[in-house]
Amino acid sequence: MLNNALIKKFESILGKNNCFTEPEDTMCYSYDAFSAEPVQPDIVVKPQNEEQIKYIINICKDENIPIVTRGAGTNLSGGTVPVKKGCVLLTTCLNKILEINENDMYAVVEAGVVTANLANAAIKKGLFYPPDPGSVNISTIGGNVAENAGGLRGLKYGVTKDYLMGVDFYDMDGNYVKGGGKTVKLVTGLNLPGLMISSEGLLGIMTKFVLKLIPKPKFSKSMLVIYDDVIKACETVSEIIAAKILPATLELLDSFTIKTVEEATKIGLPTNADALLLIELDGHEAQVLEDFEAVKDICIKLGGNIKVAETAQERDKLWEARRKALSSLARLKPTLILEDATVVRSKIPEMMKAINDIKNKYNLVIGTFGHAGDGNLHPTILTDKRDKEEMVRVEKAIDEIFAKALELDGTLSGEHGVGFAKAKYLEMEVGSGTIEYMKKLKKGVDPQNLLNPHKMGL
Amino acid sequence: MDELIKELKELEELVLQCMKCGTCQAHCPLYQKDLLESTVARGKISLIESVYEGRLENATKILKHLDYCILCGRCKENCPSGVKTDEIFLKAKAVLRKIEKLPSWGKAILKIVMEKPELLAKIAPLMHIGMKFGAKRVKNDIFKPILGSFSKRNVKQIAKKPFSKTHGGFHKAQNEKMEVYFYPGCAANFIFPEWGEGIISVLNHFGVSVYVPEVNKCCGIPAATLGELETYKKMVNENLDDINKRDCEYVITCCPTCQYALSEMGPKVTEKSPNKHFYDILMFLDEVLNVKFDVNLDEKFSLHTPCHYLSPKKANLKKHLEENIQGDFVVLENQSCCGFGGTFNMKKYDDSKAVGMSKAEEVKSKNVKKIFTPCPGCAMQLTDAIVEVGSQATVEHPIVYYAKELKNNAF
Ligand SMILES: Cc1cc2nc3c(=O)[nH]c(=O)nc-3n(C[C@H](O)[C@H](O)[C@H](O)COP(=O)(O)OP(=O)(O)OC[C@H]3O[C@@H](n4cnc5c(N)ncnc54)[C@H](O)[C@@H]3O)c2cc1C
Ligand code: SF4
Ligand code: SF4
Repeated sequence: MLNNALIKKFESILGKNNCFTEPEDTMCYSYDAFSAEPVQPDIVVKPQNEEQIKYIINICKDENIPIVTRGAGTNLSGGTVPVKKGCVLLTTCLNKILEINENDMYAVVEAGVVTANLANAAIKKGLFYPPDPGSVNISTIGGNVAENAGGLRGLKYGVTKDYLMGVDFYDMDGNYVKGGGKTVKLVTGLNLPGLMISSEGLLGIMTKFVLKLIPKPKFSKSMLVIYDDVIKACETVSEIIAAKILPATLELLDSFTIKTVEEATKIGLPTNADALLLIELDGHEAQVLEDFEAVKDICIKLGGNIKVAETAQERDKLWEARRKALSSLARLKPTLILEDATVVRSKIPEMMKAINDIKNKYNLVIGTFGHAGDGNLHPTILTDKRDKEEMVRVEKAIDEIFAKALELDGTLSGEHGVGFAKAKYLEMEVGSGTIEYMKKLKKGVDPQNLLNPHKMGL
Repeated sequence: MDELIKELKELEELVLQCMKCGTCQAHCPLYQKDLLESTVARGKISLIESVYEGRLENATKILKHLDYCILCGRCKENCPSGVKTDEIFLKAKAVLRKIEKLPSWGKAILKIVMEKPELLAKIAPLMHIGMKFGAKRVKNDIFKPILGSFSKRNVKQIAKKPFSKTHGGFHKAQNEKMEVYFYPGCAANFIFPEWGEGIISVLNHFGVSVYVPEVNKCCGIPAATLGELETYKKMVNENLDDINKRDCEYVITCCPTCQYALSEMGPKVTEKSPNKHFYDILMFLDEVLNVKFDVNLDEKFSLHTPCHYLSPKKANLKKHLEENIQGDFVVLENQSCCGFGGTFNMKKYDDSKAVGMSKAEEVKSKNVKKIFTPCPGCAMQLTDAIVEVGSQATVEHPIVYYAKELKNNAF
């Protein structure tokens, strides 16, 4: 608990309106999009500028108060739950797009800019910011960098790390650090943007970014492919990649998800299908058309039944099917646990089979969809957190899903990060030596362990 | 207090549906302004949860956050999990009202507005005169009251006589092919009687007889938003009794909130359901009568879609406007709520106004001269903001233009 004198200190810097200590205010920052026990911070601060951030850090350092930086609180790994209480620092007011440079194709933005706002501003100038997490209309660029967010276009265009050129941040001494810059090539000093990617608020408070923009693709074509065997759909993914074709999007929905989406949206999906692939190719028209034919051939060879979107409306309908996957599942049961198991692409069929076996073994409701093109699957467990007995089975199922992903040369998380949700599994993937190195790094820049403590087990 | 927590816990099934994804942040007009979690549905829901799960001791404290809501329903409209935020907020407020009573002046106003419609109709002429003396004329029929908390606002003139007094009763169409019940609502009754007149003349023209209740009973939503759920239920019941008695198939409204209050939320909080189909007048013209107009405008115009008409299933207003009104139609980038929210505008005028102003600024900068909207609340709010930013635009209901077109063609 903070005493009055300390609260006054915060207020003298931020003004009373930007400091919140009443329980009903702080309670609103005790959770994020990961279903975990809420933990209430002692104080929530809403800095209006970078200078104020520096002062907040100084107070917290002097008084040994943990700081959790929070963008939109949409992360799915408990990254913004203030497990050690202390101070939650909101970046939402740092929300200016400072520059969109058409000639050099980059943007400079503040940390609290909502991702879709940047994407839309770029589009208006004929440019393209490809990372598009499902939370694109809510999440902030700061949160995207801290979680290395990916999205539906990850297969061809990569994820947030592929667009991060520069980052400005404050370290726990209140020092201003500037990493990277505006040039396409830059090898001066340590790669600090690389360090801050996936840092989950553990290494500094990021305030500004330089992000790469690319030309907007001129042409695209989409198709939906229906399978009566999910494994064949997964094999299609591997074959398309093996044929050296890179679709912009290659998404998978399993039978349970298809039925649920159709029930919720009535968009005419085949409810008796075992799986669907949503494929979109983009780029120069001639190349797209050539690749499209090749992809069609592969799909047909593996038993796929193809529906091509001829109009913009038809394309939108196909995308709706994918975009509504999570939300349609969410309507079925009170608690939804969205997992993020990721494997190398050729192992997708095996992973799908394993998820199905685990589902049956623990008698759970699991719908699986995901970015099959980059091996990133989202087995989504539908349960009720009040059912303690079922939650034990859920926990066991999650353990097995992760173990299997690692066995298949995969990772615990393709895009949702570790937070505290997956902290206990981290060593399983990276080994104790790596954890030790991470700990040393963390200790070096944050010896009091004040920046988002306890996350990633650090 | 235990009783109260028990009652809040009854909302658990609705509350648990929220997966805390935060999608509502992108749609909440107040969040866009304040950037605070307590403003947005996710925050409000988590506060209710915190009370019944024992994490927050002082339940009354959350009332101010629940109350800080336009009840625009945009969170519900866009929630992927289908969380019934409106139902949760209204019921939770009603529970919390039991310990944090409405001040007696609030109760007195509610009593007159809700329960004494005849008295309200009688004092309307006085309000009309009062407005003339106690206000300064800003535009044709827009005044700025001189005293009190209203002095910041630009308000529409109050009707000399309420619409229900001048038009209550049965209006038989010449070649009658059907009859409808027209529920004008308080705003059309006292502020926009020309909307009601337009509705009667257009419907009559197409062979639809119109019954207008002689006493307009408030739909009750102001009481609901203040947490006085019992008064709301009473009003819904009385209105539905009246409506259900009449032998016709349709109820026509020109206020999205009234329609919502009586046909959507009403049946959820009372046991009563309407035995008729509710239709907004514009949708009735499109979907039931299948008629089109050919209004030509020589000034830039735009459309404001009321929050309760967002879902394309209910109304495709843009399509309606494009098909019936020709001219330079400007689509505004700002598709947000106007910020009115009825009692919200009374309680939190500055916050309410701030939401509307950003839209008004776009109207001014794009030199739009007319905003069409089928909601009297939005019309009042936008008028205020538009006058404030110094735009020359006016806010209108398309029906007034349709009535004019039919009249002109008759000569
Ligand atoms: C419906 C839904 C769909 C989603 N879809 C995807 C998807 O497709 N792909 C994907 O990758 N993720 C997805 N996510 C997860 C989430 O949106 C991303 O992780 C996103 O990047 C988080 O951004 P945020 O602004 O909400 O960050 P927050 O949740 O607020 O924070 C996330 C982490 O970043 C840290 N942080 C935030 N800002 C800063 C800063 N300025 N400096 C330092 N640290 C900071 C926080 O401390 C925390 O550890 C989805 C989430 C939801 C709810
Ligand atoms: S959008 Fe719906 S489910 Fe998501 S946080 Fe808001 S209310 Fe909850
Ligand atoms: S009803 Fe409107 S104002 Fe209220 S929380 Fe939902 S979106 Fe925000």
